[in-house]
Amino acid sequence: MKLFDRVTEAQVGAAIAIGFLLYNLVFWAYPFLWLAILSLSDWRFFGTPSYAGLDNLFFILQDPEFWNSMWNVARFLLLYIPIVLTCSLAFAFGLQFIGRGKAFIALCFLLANISSGVAYSLVFTKIYSSTGPLNSFLFEYFGFKIPWLTSPTFAMLAITLVVTWKFVGYYGLILYSGLLAIPKEIYDAATLDNASGFKRLFKITLPMLNAQIIMVLVFAITVGFGIFTEPFMMTGGGPLDSTNMPQIVMYETAFKRLEPSRAALMAIIIATASYLLIKLVRKIFEKNVEIV
Amino acid sequence: MLKLMIKLALVFSFLSLNACSKVDSGDEPQKIKMWVAPNETQEMFWKAAVDKWNQSGKGLQVEFTTIPATGSSEQAVLTALVSENAPDISTNIFSGFAAQLVNLDQLTDLSSLTGFEELIEHRKMDRVMQGWRQDDKYYVLPLYSNPTLVWWRKDILADLGIDKLPETFDDIYEVSKRYGNKNDRFGMQIIAGNDWADRWFDFISYYYATSNGQPYIEDNRVTYNNAAGKEVLDFINTMFKNKWTSTDFDSEDPLVIGTAVGAVRGPWDIAYFSRMYPETLKNIAIGPMIRARKSDQKHYTFSDSKGLVIFNSSQVKEEAFDFVRWVLSDDTLNVLWLELTGLPPARGDLLDNPIFVDFYLHNPLAREYATYVDVAVPPAFIEHTIDVQKIMSVEMMEPIQHQLKNTQKALDDAQARTDKLLKWLK
Repeated sequence: MKLFDRVTEAQVGAAIAIGFLLYNLVFWAYPFLWLAILSLSDWRFFGTPSYAGLDNLFFILQDPEFWNSMWNVARFLLLYIPIVLTCSLAFAFGLQFIGRGKAFIALCFLLANISSGVAYSLVFTKIYSSTGPLNSFLFEYFGFKIPWLTSPTFAMLAITLVVTWKFVGYYGLILYSGLLAIPKEIYDAATLDNASGFKRLFKITLPMLNAQIIMVLVFAITVGFGIFTEPFMMTGGGPLDSTNMPQIVMYETAFKRLEPSRAALMAIIIATASYLLIKLVRKIFEKNVEIV
Repeated sequence: MLKLMIKLALVFSFLSLNACSKVDSGDEPQKIKMWVAPNETQEMFWKAAVDKWNQSGKGLQVEFTTIPATGSSEQAVLTALVSENAPDISTNIFSGFAAQLVNLDQLTDLSSLTGFEELIEHRKMDRVMQGWRQDDKYYVLPLYSNPTLVWWRKDILADLGIDKLPETFDDIYEVSKRYGNKNDRFGMQIIAGNDWADRWFDFISYYYATSNGQPYIEDNRVTYNNAAGKEVLDFINTMFKNKWTSTDFDSEDPLVIGTAVGAVRGPWDIAYFSRMYPETLKNIAIGPMIRARKSDQKHYTFSDSKGLVIFNSSQVKEEAFDFVRWVLSDDTLNVLWLELTGLPPARGDLLDNPIFVDFYLHNPLAREYATYVDVAVPPAFIEHTIDVQKIMSVEMMEPIQHQLKNTQKALDDAQARTDKLLKWLK
């Protein structure tokens, strides 16, 4: 009887798990297998892939466009992380002081996150234009214009600001949830010890938010390696390739140059770089914070 | 091990694709399947043409749909070919994509099909077809040819005391001197945009005009590093150096709000302006593509042209071409195309053939475009269109805009990088 029960239990378990396993086989393992095969193959959508060894790797190693795009990820993250972290923290702190309408304000910021990337990219292109409202204002009141999307210096900043606008509400809410979890008693004790606001921020709030800040950093890094719509729509990767990101290069390699094998290897390189950077950031900044 | 993995993956792919694909029933009569451009007016045309053909009973019945909505027509066609679900005929194919498909052995040489030469002769397409030849074969039949020309705000020109449409670079300098204020008023929109495809509407258009239609790539090598290419880049350089043009005109159409007196436009903009900006359109005059020096001949220009292909996978190639030949030879349908789409059919007799007289009499702006169809040159028939034009942007156009290089160095750099790349990719 016991054996029968155990077998039944195992069968039920297998029946429950089979859906998940099949899903992962079809939508994860199969594409992953294909990706691995493609990266070592010579295939242009038709016929059977032939083994190409390390040819794709040698090609990519000599491809200045791809490596420039990886460098652009670093440039993007150097701008994006400080800006988005500061803005998200400001949003989270600000939300603490709002009484009524907190949910509405949070929702307003989150709307950016769910908006169509294509639609807002077109809107921002017009806003940033040399004859657009932003530059018209700057010229009228300050006598200068900023070539937001046409200067290699400013184009990445312009895109960074748009992506910040998109994610500030999302990251802000993550940080806000962390703020809510910090016990009030710690601040009361610090006040009794005459700790200044500045000190409370750096000695209590930010260390206690470590888990949330790391989470935001991880998300930000994945955004950096995965960004596509904004640069594709707003600058096309220009000017002078200054906003050409790996996803654009990968997309064009696969679907415009019809070289899916090379694109597959690019995908593996991008994913590996993203993983390694996340590991590095976590190793450097992640702390085990415990409230005793 | 790798071979086993490849086999497993392929078996899985084919099983999936076959499961997704429509299985032909042996009972169904054979039909010609066709994809047309996802464009309302072109869809209307093909509906009329297909209905007329199907009712005539001249051959196999035709079934058409628009190219499925995906990222682009190219992606949809590619997906269909890979999954063995491709139609027999597809329109909306541009030369670069066609060159890729030819190299992948997916397109039928149309000149090998019965009646090809008669069709070319009937439509007077000899000159139009020159840019579509590859190894003495023709894989694409251009349906329409959109020359790029320059639109001018004639009211502003009149205010400036200019009574003749600008045709040369010097003319543009003169307009710019009189109109430009280095802030929100410029002589002409010189750069079409920042996408690789925009090079068709600036550098390549000016180059064709200045060089009398000489190719910019030939035998897999750059040919634009010559006197004509230098004159074009010098012109662009002068315009930016003097702030007579802007790096972008993205906020509003410059012709509508008057931030520029002239801009390069295609015939599709006539319908767009008549719908969106009818008042502006009343003040538009269309001039030839600008070039370095005056010429008594018609100015060459770029042709934004797309065509029709028959895939190698088709089982009814001859029958499909019979249908194509019939549609394109039918005078009523040719006029209907023009009336519905406003796009000049790719043929050399638009202004001589009496069937088009009435249309062009009532559409003077469209007539300007028809005038230049025979001197409108399509893009180079090369597989690496994107790379070639991206290099034009990165090595020439953008450094010149930002005054980072002199024009000869820009040309030399672009040539060196393009030649190296084309040799590498060969």
